Amino acid sequence: MCATALLGFDDNQREPAPARRCGAEILLRALEAEGVEVIFGLPGGANLPIYQYLPGSPIRHILVRHEQGAAHMADGYARASGRVGVCLATSGPGALNLVTGLATAHFDSVPVVAITGQVATPTIGTDAFQESDVIGATMSVTKHSYQVHDARDLEAVVHEAFHVARTGRPGAVLIDIPKDVQQQIVEGEPAQITRLRPHREPPAPSQELLMAAARSLAGARRPMILAGRGVAIAQAQAALLALAEHIDAPVGTTLLGTGVFPSSHPLALGLVGFMGTGYCNLAVSNCDCLLMVGMRADDRVTCRLDGFAPRAEHIIHVNIDPAELGKTLAADCQIAADAGWTLEALIKETPERRHPTWRRQVDEWRDRHPLRYPHNGRLQPQEVLAACYAHRLPTDIVVADVGLNQIWAATSWTGDEAGTFLNSGGAGTMGFALPAALGAQAADPGRRVWAICGEGGFVMTLQELATAVEAGLPVKVVILNNGQLGMVRQFQDDFYGGVRSEIEHSVIPNFQLLGSAFGCFSVAVTCQAELGEALEAAMAHPGPALVECRIDPEANVYPIVPFGGGLADFMECPST
Amino acid sequence: MILVRVEDRSGVLQRVTNCLARRGFHLLSCSVGQGPKPGLLCLWLRVGTGPQPPDQVIKQLSKLIDVVSVEDRTETDPMEWVTALVEIRRDGDEMELEAALQEPGVQVVRRLKDSVLAAVAGTPEQVEVRLGQLRRLPVSDWVLGRPLALGEGGAGQAAAVGNRQVSGS
Ligand SMILES: Cc1ncc(C[n+]2csc(CCOP(=O)(O)OP(=O)(O)O)c2C)c(N)n1
Repeated sequence: MCATALLGFDDNQREPAPARRCGAEILLRALEAEGVEVIFGLPGGANLPIYQYLPGSPIRHILVRHEQGAAHMADGYARASGRVGVCLATSGPGALNLVTGLATAHFDSVPVVAITGQVATPTIGTDAFQESDVIGATMSVTKHSYQVHDARDLEAVVHEAFHVARTGRPGAVLIDIPKDVQQQIVEGEPAQITRLRPHREPPAPSQELLMAAARSLAGARRPMILAGRGVAIAQAQAALLALAEHIDAPVGTTLLGTGVFPSSHPLALGLVGFMGTGYCNLAVSNCDCLLMVGMRADDRVTCRLDGFAPRAEHIIHVNIDPAELGKTLAADCQIAADAGWTLEALIKETPERRHPTWRRQVDEWRDRHPLRYPHNGRLQPQEVLAACYAHRLPTDIVVADVGLNQIWAATSWTGDEAGTFLNSGGAGTMGFALPAALGAQAADPGRRVWAICGEGGFVMTLQELATAVEAGLPVKVVILNNGQLGMVRQFQDDFYGGVRSEIEHSVIPNFQLLGSAFGCFSVAVTCQAELGEALEAAMAHPGPALVECRIDPEANVYPIVPFGGGLADFMECPST
Repeated sequence: MILVRVEDRSGVLQRVTNCLARRGFHLLSCSVGQGPKPGLLCLWLRVGTGPQPPDQVIKQLSKLIDVVSVEDRTETDPMEWVTALVEIRRDGDEMELEAALQEPGVQVVRRLKDSVLAAVAGTPEQVEVRLGQLRRLPVSDWVLGRPLALGEGGAGQAAAVGNRQVSGS
């Protein structure tokens, strides 16, 4: 942020700022000073003063159709760009509509700042029209929140909010601004930022701790690395690759870590956990030393906790958030630090190693437990994804929704470009993909962005197709239409006595008509032969496009670990 | 016993209690006081962690932006002071009642026609013993306050967050 902007001078013209400014103007200048390029929002009674001044700001506003979409777009923008995403809503229902999106971003450590209008200060607490306690409602899904009672504090609050959102373990921050504060006139120069509460770094890991980790890795005969989104946040993909090659350790990734290790690398084992690859889960179950970096040890990764990495003599857990260490898994070496910093340090401290026997064993598992799917003449989701990935440029961003489509998209993933696969991991929010893809597209108009959805998740936020067309965000949406809530159906089949209950979508919109209704290009695909042409046409179209793929309704995700089972207990595709 | 120093801002107690509740911790006692440092509040908390690792309380509270420091004071034995109010009916043995009211730490607050209201103050252990004795009398009502704690100047153990080696390697 430039100092002149802070002092209220226009950077180019060096003219003194107007002596009288209202809260809304102060807010917008502070956002500009933070480098905000785009805000995803929707106006309403309690944020209208901000909208009154928005046209005078260089910040682009993208008008959403539902505030949940605004939060997901800010999230997708942040994930794709590494910058803070910003969304804006009015009070009451508008603010509460943000909650799912904020939870989704916060759970996955994505820096998002949400700005909400609030009823005027004197009416707070009186159940005024469209009043809601959004601070209370979002307390557990934000890193911090502010309600601003004096426009003179606004500038400092905005800068602190951005600082909090992006430092340490990133997350969502909310700024609630009563309408009268947006309209409050502040005379004279804006107040200088009085202070930014510094991010409290945990003390740097001691040299002994690092040496202990290095010794464990050096002494291992069957080393294994698991990596998560923390590696992407730290932009430490190169360090991860270097360490893996240095110590000859296979690498698995979490759902959020998909893409942090090149999929074509011989050490790549793909997805770990509940629906992870069999060979990755076997490698974790048999390794003698496990390094977990930039990830939580959540239940979807570990499955039955006491069956996780049972042969590991050492588990080294690296996370920038100390609270994630020892929360579920008691790793013997717990390092609270940046993933990149730690990986670099470990490369320096660990001697090079080769493990031909272990590598042969892992390759044998890879041959014995490949990802399999039935070939029954029906269109298989894996065929659709293989075609999509073959058509995409290496820099294209793929955003997966939630459900079977998400796991197929992650396990079929091929790509060596970091940060190109995005999805909602922690919250698992259906409806994420389309709006998040729009946010990613807004972050970088020069890249192609794909959204991979099931038809169930797609219809949860499909109104944002209007936003896509209106804002000129040419995302390519691939709908894997199986006519049902597929993941729920598979759980019912595999784990709930085969009782199929409320999973069938007997009414599914005609996606070609639906796409056309919004002004999108749309095409339907029913067999593998049609795929290439449809994808080419979608990509050639300059605007948003829908490719509906009518896939085998019985297609499942395998392997899958039964509930209560350990990683090595995975079930494989029964038909092969 | 955990000493949490927080910025004295509106809603800060909600943030602390929400954090504990959201993580499934049980707040057993909480005393709030203005500490010697201006702008900071001292919260003395006793927290039940259930199945969660006990250090999670300190780690999770440390993440709150308004929290300035978290210290585990379990070892340093802070000074705690508790007050209870007891209402005793006068329809029992009058001699025994008067003797009990003479005990150290017991003070008569008010004498009513049918009952006596007494205050009991002391360390939590002392008050527990005293209340046990008084309850042998015909007690009609009583209330036990949350402890006040003081230990601000003491050498608290800074909360150990993060980096550690659990067993030798
Ligand atoms: C908002 C939300 N509601 C419910 C769920 C639970 N859920 C997880 S997967 C799933 C089914 C998803 O169906 P669909 O979008 O059609 O994708 P598919 O699994 O068929 O690929 C459901 C209902 C969820 N994750 N998110």
